[in-house]
Order: sequence, then structure tokens, then C-alpha cells
Amino acid sequence: MGKSFFKTRVILFLTALLLCSMAGLSNAEDELNCVLCHKHRGLSRIDENGNLRLFYINEHMFEEGPHFRVKCIDCHQDIAKIPHDPAKKVDCTTECHLTEPSGQKNFSHKSVAEQLNKSVHGKFDTEGKEKKNVQDFPGCKDCHEEPLYRPLSFFKGKAGGISQRGISRCKTCHRTGKFAESFYKHVTSRLQKTRQPVEMVQVCDRCHSDKDLQQRHNLDDVVNTYKETFHYKAIKFGSDETPDCLDCHVVKGESVHFIEGRNSPTAANNNKNVATTCRTSECHDKASENLAGYRVHVTYDKDKYPFLHYMMMFFTGLMAAVMYFFLVLIILELLRRLFPNFSFTKSPDDGHH
Amino acid sequence: MLPNQLKKLMGKLYAIALIVFAVWYGYFIYPIIFSHAEHHGLDVVTAKAGASVEEKMLQKVMSEQKSTATTDLGYTVVKEQYVKGHFHHVGMTMEKDETSVCARCHGSVPHSKAKPIRAFLNMHAFFIGCETCHIKAKPDQAPWSFRWYDKITGKILTSNPKGLVETEKEMHGNYGAKIGPGTLASDGSFNFLNGERERAFVIDYLKNKDALNSTDQSKMKKVIHRLVDEKPLLCDNCHTSSQKPYIPFDELGYPQRRIQQITSTEVVGMLQKYRDFYFPRFVMPGQTRADQPAPNAEQQADASKAR
Repeated sequence: MGKSFFKTRVILFLTALLLCSMAGLSNAEDELNCVLCHKHRGLSRIDENGNLRLFYINEHMFEEGPHFRVKCIDCHQDIAKIPHDPAKKVDCTTECHLTEPSGQKNFSHKSVAEQLNKSVHGKFDTEGKEKKNVQDFPGCKDCHEEPLYRPLSFFKGKAGGISQRGISRCKTCHRTGKFAESFYKHVTSRLQKTRQPVEMVQVCDRCHSDKDLQQRHNLDDVVNTYKETFHYKAIKFGSDETPDCLDCHVVKGESVHFIEGRNSPTAANNNKNVATTCRTSECHDKASENLAGYRVHVTYDKDKYPFLHYMMMFFTGLMAAVMYFFLVLIILELLRRLFPNFSFTKSPDDGHH
Repeated sequence: MLPNQLKKLMGKLYAIALIVFAVWYGYFIYPIIFSHAEHHGLDVVTAKAGASVEEKMLQKVMSEQKSTATTDLGYTVVKEQYVKGHFHHVGMTMEKDETSVCARCHGSVPHSKAKPIRAFLNMHAFFIGCETCHIKAKPDQAPWSFRWYDKITGKILTSNPKGLVETEKEMHGNYGAKIGPGTLASDGSFNFLNGERERAFVIDYLKNKDALNSTDQSKMKKVIHRLVDEKPLLCDNCHTSSQKPYIPFDELGYPQRRIQQITSTEVVGMLQKYRDFYFPRFVMPGQTRADQPAPNAEQQADASKAR
């Protein structure tokens, strides 16, 4: 009796200990305890091409995005043991264990990949053949770091973050786990842009400002020319209402991954559609057709746009001539005030006569 | 001073001030007028036409030196180191080691040869000075003492580095400090093996090395590396539960909880698994795991030599 009671107490104690240690685990799913190694900031190496391969996972940041409920092995599916062999590149189109609530199917980014493949950024042409310089076309990671929630509070005025008063109402019914917080953050993040416009421009900038890439694909320097526009100036000063690249290059209602080339008749920036794009309800809804009659990305490439190039040269010269002519005039006038009797021609004795 | 003279002086000062302003204004408007004709500061570097792979790489690396990524989440702004192709957020900026003598040539990610463990070795290099593993005390020397040094100033830390105890979870080895070995003088003062004097010497050498011929450069390299051991410290010299760890974690301010992690089953067991899993193939490439006996300490040392 005594021994049995002791055994029961030991089992209970060990069970309690196990539960306590489990309670201390991170919210993120980490069955294999991957963070034992990957929590170290310096876990890295330089690969054969000279690129830094960083294997560090910031748990705190990981928990701030929609992937926090996904297990490591849902994406890194080739890792089934620790220690592991070098991991394969993650395929974002694979299905993870999460169930997509509207269709009750396993979640996958396959539909996004399909949209991307149809777009101008897709790696294959309409006949299914690989495009020239295919390595330049973006994959998921070229535009996306791990997404982070940008929750919004509407409770009393719009502000960033979770409204504790607001979410307390959700928690009246949805008490289990972190469901309420997760749902709140997910939905309110999706009610706005997931990136600030200035960050969005930086994403496009990574590839589109690469001169080599521009040459390989005969592209204009679109990001830097955009940066000269009023739109970007407003963004630079912190506006999140002014259009960034996606606002003008994605047809309203379409997936942001479906950007078409200008020559496509359905493209948002096709000459026939530009006016419609500018006149969306969030932008210039009452503007006339002529609003879109100007060239947004003015590129002064001498070979591609000689007229614009020489026009720019003329106005630059005119501006410089006018500004520096008057500046020199002002400086000479001021020098005369300083040295009223100075002359290059007058001899020193002239003044005595 | 007479009012007339004062008036003249004021007029001249006024003229001088305006001339200065006009000259500055001419300088100020230059980029505004001519900016359209120039290339704008590109965030993505582009090498000159016909540049080699190496030249392009150098330009890219130089351009990315201080690149950071900023993410505005509305309620907070995350500023972090930008690592191209790294999907997961870093959430912090890296604290560079400005004082390490070794890192001046070998960099802060120096390990690359031992494929199975190079990332782990680099992880340790983040908060442990190279000398710790690569310079051991000779039999006739007293064992080294260890101290934390500030990565920027090189000075000994008088208290535990930020993040070692209180916010350890957030820092993950990015303490802004490293452990370095040294000796204790008779007056009790501590001297790092590579201290200010050695650092100044290496800086001086690097500054003047182009003036030396290649033979003399080799001589100097030999001298600089004279203390470096052929066989570095092994993992289980520190990650051990059966003997006193080589690095005195408790003296360096590690909390007991952390010491237990480092020296108990979690890490030691992992190491054992890692060794069983990788070392046979690594030590004797070409053989299958089943063919090989379990590695002994000597084999480990040989493997480490390849680092």
C-alpha cells in the first residue's frame, strides 16, 4: 500500500514536471526543438558563392507573423531528424498541416505561385518555355521576408497595435489559447497594406535598380524615375495613402502577384487602362482622361528616348544658365559694394586728377 | 566709432555675408539642377560593364556593408540587419567585433572547411574569441584565465555582458562582447593574449605589408600565428558533464540554468548524436557509416584540424 502510494506520487510528480516543462515551450510549433541550435545569432556560414547563409531564427519575431502556428518541418519537410543534413530549399507551394477554413483543405501557397507564373514576373512564357535569363525572375523569397502582422486598433480612432478593449470582447467567447489574438491580428493586418509604401518600393528596387538586370531585359530604370515623382516624395515623408508600385501596376481586385507587362491589353498600366487605374475610388476618382496623359516613368536614356534626353539636356542647361548667371551677377554686385573703387584698367594715379 | 564708419562696416559685412550665401547657394542647387542627368544613388549596386565575378562580388559586398531593413508594423518599427535571401527576420543588428586581431584578416564568419560543423563553429565565434579555442596554454604555462571583452573597445567588461543573464533569450549570443583568454600578472591584473599591443602591431603590419616582398610577408604571417595550435580545442572540452569545462562558465557570469544546458544532456547528448551521425563520414570520406568504428578523441582532433 505504502509503496504503491509512493509510486503514484512519483508518477504524478513526473507528469506535473513534464507538463510544466511543456508549458514553458514557445508558442511556435517546434517539436524537434530546432531552436536549440537555431536560436543562436551567429549560426551561419559563407557559401561557395560568397553569400552569407544565416541559420538563425528569432523566435520572438517568428511569433509575430502568420507562420507562428506552422511547424518548422511543415516548410522544411526534408528534415526529419536532428542533427540533420543540409536542408533543401523550401517550396512554398507545398501543403502544410493547417486547414484553410473556407475550403477545409490543407493550406498551400500554390494559388499564389499560379498567379505569379501568369504574370510578367513568371519564369515561363505563354507556351510554357523557360524565359531567357530565367534566373532574374523572382521567386517568393526575392520579394518576401517572413510576413509580420500589422494589427490595427479602431476602437477609438485608428492606431497601430491591438486594442485591448476591442479584443476583450472577442475573448468573452473565444477564450482558448491565442485564437482571439491571432484572428484579430490576421484580420486587421489584412484590412490594410501589409507593407508600408516606402518598404514596397524598396522591394521592387532590389531588382529593378540593378543595371545589369535592366540591360539583360531591356528595362527602364523605373524605380529611380518613380522616386522623382510627387507620389514618391509624399511616401518618403511618411504618407501611406500615396500610391506605390503595386497600386498602379495591379488591376484593382486582382492578386498583387498578377502584374502584367504594359503591352498586355488587360494590364493596369496599358495605355488604354492607365486612366482607369488613376481613377480608382481611393485615388483620383473624378479626374479626366488627361490626368493620365503624361509619362510617369520619365527615362532619359539617349538611345531609347532621344527626344526626352535632349529635352532634359536643354532644360537642365537653361536652368543652370539662368541660375548661375544671376548668381554671378549678384556676387559681382556685392564685390562692387566691397571695393567701390577697384578697377582692372584704371591706374593708381587716375584718382588724383 | 563714427556713425558713418559703422554704417560702412555694416554694409561690407552684409556684402560679405551675402557673397558667402550666394556661393553656398550655387553649390546647393548644383545637384538639384543636374540630378536628372546623373544616376541616382542605387541601393542595388551595379558593377562596371565587363566586371569579373570577383569585382562584382566586391562591389556588392561593399554596398551591403551597412544595409539594414526597416519594417514599420504601426505599433513598432523593426530595424534589423538585411541579409539577402534570409527569409526569417533577424530582429536585430549585428554587433561587429572591432577589436579581434584575427578577424581583421579572417573575418567574423571564419570557419568553412569542416562542412558538418562550420556553422556551429561560426556561431561560437560570435561570442568566443578565436584565441580561446586556437591557442592553448603550453604544459609549462599556467592555465589561461578568461574575461569578457567589449567588441568595440576591447576593454575588459566589469560586469556581465548585456543579455547574458537578464535578457538572454533575446540576445542569442549577440552580447556585444566576447570571451577571451589571457594571463594574470603577479599584481592580479589581467592581460589578454591578444591585447592592445598585439592589435596595434597587426594593424601596423597590415598597413605596411604591401611594402614588404612576398617572402617577408610569409615571415610575418608565421610570426603572427606563432601561438596558434595545430589542434584546436574540441567541443567536448567545454560541453562536458564528466569533467570541469575548459571555459569557466560560472566565473564568466553564466547563470546556473545556462551552465546546466551547456554541460548537460541537451547539448552534450546532441553533440554525441552529431558526432555519431557525421564524424565517421567526415573523417573517412568514401566509407559508409556502418563500416566504421566509433570515433575516438584522436579522430575528433584530426577532424578539427581540418577546420
